[in-house]
Amino acid sequence: MKRSLMLIAAVLGSVAAGSAVAYDADWKRGRVYYRQICTSCHTAQMPKPIAPNDKVKADWAAYLQADKHAKGKETVKQYFGKPYRASIKATNQAAAKFAEVPDQDLLDDVKAFLQKGAKDGDAPASCS
Amino acid sequence: MRNSTTRRWQGVVAGLWLISAGAFAAAEIKEAKEAPPVRLDSTADHSKFKQLQGTFDSGPKVTKACLSCHTEAARQVHRTKHWTWEFLNPDNQQRLGKKNVLNNFCISISQNYPFCTSCHVGYGWKDKNFDFAAEENVDCLVCHDTTGNYKKLPGLAGHPAYKPVETPPGSGNMVKPPDLAKIAQKIGKTSRDTCGACHFFGGGGDGVKHGDMDSSLAAPDKDLDIHMDATGLDFTCATCHATSSHDVPGSRYKPTATDKHGAHIRGKMGQGNPATCQACHGNTPHKEKARLNTHAEKIACQTCHVPTFARGGVATKMSWDWSTAGQKGADGKHMTRKDDHNHVIYDTRKGDFVLGEKVKPEYRWFNGDISYTLLGDKVEKSDVPTGVNRIGGSPADGRSMIWPMKVMRGVQPFDPINKTLVMPHTAGNDDIGFWKNLEWEKAIADGMQNMGAPFSGKVDFIKTEMFWPITHMVAPKDKALACAECHSADSRLKGIDGIYMPSHSQKRWLDIAGWLAAAATLLGVLIHGALRIVMSRRK
Repeated sequence: MKRSLMLIAAVLGSVAAGSAVAYDADWKRGRVYYRQICTSCHTAQMPKPIAPNDKVKADWAAYLQADKHAKGKETVKQYFGKPYRASIKATNQAAAKFAEVPDQDLLDDVKAFLQKGAKDGDAPASCS
Repeated sequence: MRNSTTRRWQGVVAGLWLISAGAFAAAEIKEAKEAPPVRLDSTADHSKFKQLQGTFDSGPKVTKACLSCHTEAARQVHRTKHWTWEFLNPDNQQRLGKKNVLNNFCISISQNYPFCTSCHVGYGWKDKNFDFAAEENVDCLVCHDTTGNYKKLPGLAGHPAYKPVETPPGSGNMVKPPDLAKIAQKIGKTSRDTCGACHFFGGGGDGVKHGDMDSSLAAPDKDLDIHMDATGLDFTCATCHATSSHDVPGSRYKPTATDKHGAHIRGKMGQGNPATCQACHGNTPHKEKARLNTHAEKIACQTCHVPTFARGGVATKMSWDWSTAGQKGADGKHMTRKDDHNHVIYDTRKGDFVLGEKVKPEYRWFNGDISYTLLGDKVEKSDVPTGVNRIGGSPADGRSMIWPMKVMRGVQPFDPINKTLVMPHTAGNDDIGFWKNLEWEKAIADGMQNMGAPFSGKVDFIKTEMFWPITHMVAPKDKALACAECHSADSRLKGIDGIYMPSHSQKRWLDIAGWLAAAATLLGVLIHGALRIVMSRRK
């Protein structure tokens, strides 16, 4: 009985190991996406763009969790979607380069960059 | 009963095996078309190595773990300029390197070791007795960190913080110690971020020293640098500075001003510096406008392709006047003044600065020869600046090209009796350092004593200048200099000897002679034509 249970555990373990590993966010790709998509648009439309070190980590986490852009009129996530990237890729090199990256991966990349570049992050980052 | 239960479990197990085997078989069919996911940036996942698991309470302990596999790495590093901070110029036998030279920024490392050596690839260089032979003193993480979290703070002699440190002192800003194990488990190839951690911040701040290197190059766009463009070619520093055995080619102490080797071919020996433009582009790089290749015989690529420097949003220092240091605020405390762009233009500890963005370079003939004014070399105070370094070059030596330069101008302390430049002890929270105590005599005496150099006790200030060849921030070809930038009355190259440039190098007498000749020719043709007409009518 005990041997059989161990066998089941081994089988389930091997199946689990064969499944997809957790995505290891790429903060450098997040940095490029944030600066060339988020910052470039905010620079054009606002008097001062929002730098990663303008907020603390908890604020960034809460902002992305709430998923509200433009005072709730739209979602943040839409700006990480393939349709949005496709719509601007003719004029935006970052959108073109990352056109086929899965939406969630890009969002995780930018999250990683913002957590790192936040005012209380490991490497506070400005806009440039 | 026990037997039947066992049989049931065995049935369940067999079923699960079948399901999983089926799943794997299906996966294999799929994998035949698509390879399974794998890290492509390295052949090793360092988080899997036992040596790097657990915690590390110091940098040297991390290095020992690295060296348990990479047995030759530290001794390779020991042979490089990044480790020794020394360079013997084979042309003039000057002993250079940060250990020996002066500059007109923070001046020198003498008695400022714990601060300056935050940019040394080692741990513990706090005074001149540093052990350069110790392998565990090599800092692997500073070049191989991929997390961006590894920081070596000024004042810690090349160590990262091992406990929270208030930086700068008195600011209330606490810098957390980095997680060395986590960083070690994620090490990888060098990057713009790792090289830039020092080279972007030379001279004591972002973009201060070089002008063509600052933090904007960490993730630049195409217009800022066509090669490093983060959404394009995405070159790292090592793409051009192709490194072998930890020795990084491309030196500012012995630069390659003219590269006649052409594009490098794999396997061919003795091709020279891999970091030159010609090493990839060859000596006739212009395919569409071949006429421009004649320009490339005498004009460095950078002259046209780096139209301005410091153009990524970070200002660079263009001059530094130490003679005005020491002024305090109305409250008797140290102070700073800023300009409209929020740049610090005066600091009690350092004097006055002039900063620049999008700066047009100055241009000089340059053949790669550089000599330095070293400690002990005689200098004379005058209105003509003393060259902290001097560049060689002329239109006639067959080795020179016209190069863009950042010329850093300064006023710095010197010894008017011994007539030498001096190395003051500036940094540090002690009773001597100038930045705290504002007493030149004491600070210079300490710095000079450390170097074993004489100091009369008298201090005066001398104008200096220093040349920094510009080579980064290469613009795309449509943003390179237009013809009229040089071929015009207000040419960028005005004052450069030995060249004749149409539309710039105008001589009035030659123009008049040319027009007269053209008019005479026209007149001759008209007279000849008229005579022919007249003669034919007579017939």
